[in-house]
Amino acid sequence: MKKIIVTGILAIIALSTQAQKKIEYLEYDLPNGIHVIIHEEHATPIVAVSILYHVGSKNEIPERTGFAHFFEHLLFEGSANIGRGEYSELVEKNGGTLNANTSQDRTYYYEILPSNQLELGLWLESERLLHAKVDNTGIETQRSVVKEEKRQRVDNQPYATFITEMFKRMFTVHPYNWAPIGSMEHLDAAQEEDYVNFYKTFYVPSNATLSIAGDLNVEETKKWIEKYFASMPKGQAINLFRDFENLSDDDFFKRYSVAKSKFDAKDFMNSKSPEAKRLITSYSNKEVEIRRPQKDSEKMTGVIKDVIYDNIQLPGIFMGYKFPAQTHPDTYALEMMNEVLSGGTSSRINKTIVEKKEMATFAFSFNYGLEDAGVGIMAAIAAQGINLDDIQKEFDAQIDLMKNELISQEEFEKVRNQFENNLVSSNSSIAGVAENLADNHVYYGTASRVNTQLENYMKVTREDIQRVAKLYFTQDARVILHYLPKEK
Amino acid sequence: MKKIIIIAGLILPTFLFGQLDRSIRPTPAKAPTINIKDSEVFTTPSGITVILSENHKLPRVSFALSMGSDPRIEGTKAGMSDMSGSLILSGTTNRTKDQLDNEIDYIGASINAGKSSISLSCLTKHMDKGLTLMSDVLMNANFPQTEFDRIKKQNESGLLSAKSDPGTMAQNAESKVNFPNHPYGEVMTEASLANITREDVVNYYKSTFTPKGSYLVIVGDITKSQATALVDKYFSKWSGGEPYKMESGDGQFNKGNRVIFVKKPGAVQSVVQISFPMKIRSGETNQLPLTVLNGILGGGGFGTRLMQNLREDKAYTYGCYSSLNVTEDGSWMSIGGNFRNDITDSAITQILFEVDNIGNGYVKDEELNLTKSSMAGGFARSLESPQTIARFALNIIKNNLAKDYYQTYLKRLESINKDDVLTMSQTYFTAKNCNIVVVGNEEIIDRLKQFDTDGKIEFLDAYGEVLKEVKKADITKEELISKYVLAVTQTTSMKAAQKKMKKIKSYEEKTDLSMSQVPFPLKSTKVWVSPSTEAQKLEGQGMVFQKSFFDGTAGASTNMQTGKKDMTAEEIASKKKAIGLFPEMNYATSGMTYEMVGIETLNDKDVYVLKLNDGTTESFDYYDTKTFMKLKSLSINKDGDEVTESSSLFSDFKDINGLLFPHIVTISMGEMAFSGKVTSIVVNGKVDISLYK
Repeated sequence: MKKIIVTGILAIIALSTQAQKKIEYLEYDLPNGIHVIIHEEHATPIVAVSILYHVGSKNEIPERTGFAHFFEHLLFEGSANIGRGEYSELVEKNGGTLNANTSQDRTYYYEILPSNQLELGLWLESERLLHAKVDNTGIETQRSVVKEEKRQRVDNQPYATFITEMFKRMFTVHPYNWAPIGSMEHLDAAQEEDYVNFYKTFYVPSNATLSIAGDLNVEETKKWIEKYFASMPKGQAINLFRDFENLSDDDFFKRYSVAKSKFDAKDFMNSKSPEAKRLITSYSNKEVEIRRPQKDSEKMTGVIKDVIYDNIQLPGIFMGYKFPAQTHPDTYALEMMNEVLSGGTSSRINKTIVEKKEMATFAFSFNYGLEDAGVGIMAAIAAQGINLDDIQKEFDAQIDLMKNELISQEEFEKVRNQFENNLVSSNSSIAGVAENLADNHVYYGTASRVNTQLENYMKVTREDIQRVAKLYFTQDARVILHYLPKEK
Repeated sequence: MKKIIIIAGLILPTFLFGQLDRSIRPTPAKAPTINIKDSEVFTTPSGITVILSENHKLPRVSFALSMGSDPRIEGTKAGMSDMSGSLILSGTTNRTKDQLDNEIDYIGASINAGKSSISLSCLTKHMDKGLTLMSDVLMNANFPQTEFDRIKKQNESGLLSAKSDPGTMAQNAESKVNFPNHPYGEVMTEASLANITREDVVNYYKSTFTPKGSYLVIVGDITKSQATALVDKYFSKWSGGEPYKMESGDGQFNKGNRVIFVKKPGAVQSVVQISFPMKIRSGETNQLPLTVLNGILGGGGFGTRLMQNLREDKAYTYGCYSSLNVTEDGSWMSIGGNFRNDITDSAITQILFEVDNIGNGYVKDEELNLTKSSMAGGFARSLESPQTIARFALNIIKNNLAKDYYQTYLKRLESINKDDVLTMSQTYFTAKNCNIVVVGNEEIIDRLKQFDTDGKIEFLDAYGEVLKEVKKADITKEELISKYVLAVTQTTSMKAAQKKMKKIKSYEEKTDLSMSQVPFPLKSTKVWVSPSTEAQKLEGQGMVFQKSFFDGTAGASTNMQTGKKDMTAEEIASKKKAIGLFPEMNYATSGMTYEMVGIETLNDKDVYVLKLNDGTTESFDYYDTKTFMKLKSLSINKDGDEVTESSSLFSDFKDINGLLFPHIVTISMGEMAFSGKVTSIVVNGKVDISLYK
């Protein structure tokens, strides 16, 4: 009998003064390592089925960038039981919708389906995890599609390269050095084998979080999860099974010194032959090693100033500071500080730089928080005829003010109210709830943070905000990028 | 609050891996029932229709007010209503903009306003305060001049950035070609923005924001009695006139395909948008089957014909979609995507093929079912948003739909068959009257001609205005100048021309001017004395309005109202570069910067365009390519941020003492226009320059 482990029981926190309504859920681990989160809610007859794979561009090697994002595309190509192009068709035909996204830290897949199609969603996701099609036909097609995506979303969009350019200069050691879109040359240079290995390393049960939310029956859902997910081989046995399905008799024998015929095709894990049994047991006990970079510890030592020429009309300035990883307790204060600077029309940056001084058509600051590091970004698109250095002076004046004076009590109340409103809104859809639960489990080690987030923001004091401004706005260590129009 | 489920120790059946046949696809459970709660609808004495949809899932509430006025044609003031919309939150008679922004942010609320709407969204506990602010804006917006100027300037910068955004450029072109003389064809340009005044904006707001015919949609965590009380408290004092009503046409239907190209230098990808208008309005029975047709063609999802062909099969693009826009004021279909330069033409071929092909026969059962299921699913998913329920209620009222229109939506959708879909494509799609808009790199133009029925590609600028085509000139700037000099002096060599000009010592030209804004005739006199003295005056009804002179080293101008002003050193330097009866004769030595732009068309005539810069002002002169006479002169005057264009058109050239001079001159300066008739030209007569000082 396999044990089901309860990893999380909700701590009940009374948030009586706040408007946030508590999100109920249950979670457990399957023996093969898949983490399961279920949230039941019957307001609308739909369900969201999602899997978060803890792999992003930071898990790539510098010679093969863009792989994580490429897989986001490739894994819609089908599986051993799903034909090419059929994956999305199955979802759409059954009234659902699907998509996926990739960050530096994770790859996230989801379907939103009518609630009577929950089992279909679970089967689809289990097929993707167990034995997705990773072959040359799919690789070729998706290579072209990804190149088009890069042209459309990065190369042809004004200012869109700023994250790539900023991170490249800020992280010279950590793989945040490159953006998830990666290098097209790397994708071209990679062989089928490289892709297969990436799949075998990162698309394994122990790296997956299955998060389900919506109009569902918990007992029935758990039965289906047992059926489609708990049954999957554990450890390296999943790759043994994949090789069994994909390799020729010869190749399989070369690799494992056991003939394929020793295995039971219909009941692989219960193959009778002793050689097969031995191999299955030993591979089940072998963990899949996942390379994860060290947390970023590189300190910026000076000011890096560069000019980027882009297809734009108005110059833009983008400044970047090293902020801590998103799990760092200072993140709450930093985000509130950004809200003072840039949240809403009455924010400081908007009032001064955009409205009063009319120096920019658009100006903002935000915290690009990631698992291993954060980047504080301050940016503006200049108004006609305005010098970027003058905008920088204005930004610097705002930073000085933040460092030298406590924010007013009124501003403080304002940002608290704004956070309360934002957090209430962030859980308004079941798809959003499923994603928030998964994110919090993976990054913060506990899904329950969805219910304590507001409390953490409310603990931040005005002094905290001043302290983090002083600590992280390092004027002598930052990146300053000037975007200028390309000569026509 | 639901019970927390603790599942420790729970026994579940265990499936053995091998026993599971993964090739068996799960079958759906019984379809869930969809219940759409009825919204409450009531009308206030002032004419507001209030639609209330309660939803207590989250402690939020929203109030969205939309006006009953129809959109307008703004013509030379295109963008005026949008300007008005973006200024509504600029302050009220009770609150400055800063106070207003602060108070809105303070409660974490958002208030948005557009050209005919204003809405509030906030936590329920803040709704009283939120409505205080929203109703203040609605009734007391005061459009301060400073904010007007600021937003205008912001729009100027915005227009500049829009010029570099290929998506916006394509959108502008698409609106213009499908909907000329229609509110949907209005695109703000630098010129139209300059025409908009604060008064325009205030008048627009006053006539549009009126309770009669407006709709207030309330959604969220609020009860009916709360809503009724709040509407009475905050909106009963709101008053106004009748809403603006206008019947918009259906758009322009082409004979044949048009290719419209918008140049985007340096583009690595083209934005392609293929569109055509359709005669259908929202709420008509055909809307639903037409939506099914669009779904099969490319209305979202990966399984559509366009996506399967252009993305999955040919890998031309990241996404290719069709979008069906059916509205109360006009409808159109738009199909497009982003394609790299070298396959732009192939992509257009495939899109046109798909548009044509879908009308050539029945759609397949699978694709019909796929689209219908996907629409049914989309319908179910949309119900998650409380706004959807309210929108349904609003549509029922606005479009006179049956009360149970959305209750029966799925049933009606299910009944749509292949015949219905074919009828739709044959009624609305022909693939032969498409506007093919391409924004991209000029290098691909030649490969687009094949798609245009008459083979002539039209060029539009970033705002969708006709782009003046510039051809390369066949002569140099120096050649042009000498040909012009020979033409006006009616000589055959530069030597002869110079000899002839030496004999000209003075010149006086009198012109009668008429101007629609001025009820009496005006006279202008222009004189020149060799080598470099010139002067000018404008008079009427016995008064001199304006006079000016320059004697080669200094000068001044005198205005009846503002008095006399000496020329600045800068102005003198510039003036020196354009001195002489025919300043062109001196360009080689005067220091004037000039360059050949190319050949454009001016009133159906080919003209050489010469770009000049005298150090302070940039100007353009246009010379007939056949006669070499100067037909137009245009200068761009900058005064701080203000830019005005003034231009003169010349015609009716007559021989005076062997030289050719125009006798009809039309002058326009900013919004003013004069037409002038030359009444006398005297060469080598006596000129009294003191009259001009």
